[in-house]
Amino acid sequence: MHIGPREIAGFLHLGRSAYGRSVAATDDESAQSTPRLSRADFVTMGITFFSLGVTLQVLMIENGTSTTRAFVASSVIFSATSQFAYLAVRDGGGSDWAGIIAGWVVATRFGILAVSLNPRLPKGVVRRVLAALNAFDPNVAIAVQQSNPRDVEREFWRTTAGMMLGWFLGVGVGTFLGDIVGDTSRIGLDAVFPAALLAIIGNLLRQRDGLISGICGALICLLLIPFVPAGFPIILSVFGVAVALMLSRQPAVETRSAS
Amino acid sequence: MTTLAIVAITIGVWGQRLAGAFLVGPQLEKRPNLSRAASLLPAAVVMAVIVQLTVTRAGSLTIDARLAGMVVAIILVWRKAPFLAVVLAAAATTALIRAFA
Repeated sequence: MHIGPREIAGFLHLGRSAYGRSVAATDDESAQSTPRLSRADFVTMGITFFSLGVTLQVLMIENGTSTTRAFVASSVIFSATSQFAYLAVRDGGGSDWAGIIAGWVVATRFGILAVSLNPRLPKGVVRRVLAALNAFDPNVAIAVQQSNPRDVEREFWRTTAGMMLGWFLGVGVGTFLGDIVGDTSRIGLDAVFPAALLAIIGNLLRQRDGLISGICGALICLLLIPFVPAGFPIILSVFGVAVALMLSRQPAVETRSAS
Repeated sequence: MTTLAIVAITIGVWGQRLAGAFLVGPQLEKRPNLSRAASLLPAAVVMAVIVQLTVTRAGSLTIDARLAGMVVAIILVWRKAPFLAVVLAAAATTALIRAFA
């Protein structure tokens, strides 16, 4: 399965025309018109990352993390998913390391984003390292869709700037609000992040194998929660992939290795 | 979050991005099987985090208004609603049920 821009960040509906194509069309990236983010796209993306930043800070502070620590964590980790996985494990009574490993496991998403990004970047180790460290869904999706190789880096950083502006403003405001907002569950804040995650992987789940993998991961986690220490249900959910591969009908490997 | 957790998760997240770009990426091109497994991994683990965040409270299974919020989110994601609509609808559903239950 090829992870195209649609699977990566179709959820933001950025560069609408480019995302409107079929999944198959995204394989042939050179044939596409070059997507460029409109001002409305920047605002949408900024608001999205702003709201995630606020939510994460408020929930972290409510969970007992000090405001300084919460601010530092969200400024350096660059993976809200990992922070939420860690917090969920700790909330369930899991050990520090169980939380950390759960955080690592869910961050594989970003490693895979870096895999798609790297071949499209110009040569130069420093520039590639800096770009890889900033690999998120929207900027990678935009960068890999550029038809002109010279535009890849510029569009990547343009998108990154919009994202980061929203994120750090959100983290700042959230850190400030953390002490003020009272009962966060009253306004449904605890439903925000699971819903956001679902939207982020929505396009992956629309593919048969992606859906099987997702359902298996969810079932493994659900079945294990009552029986194993917190953290392990998330860590062991990686085996959902094995089931998806077994049930998969695509004999993609044989054709490639035989040639 | 403990200091250890902040440091360890930062190293893990940054390290995976670098490993993806420089070590794993070139290998994946040669191994389509591994590449497929890698691309399916986010679906499995992110769904597990979603389950954990939706139906547990302090480590045990707890069904509450969050689940209703997630059902709304599932429908909206399926219908390709915009990101902010999904998030706001899930939060609003959860909040409304709590207010009236």
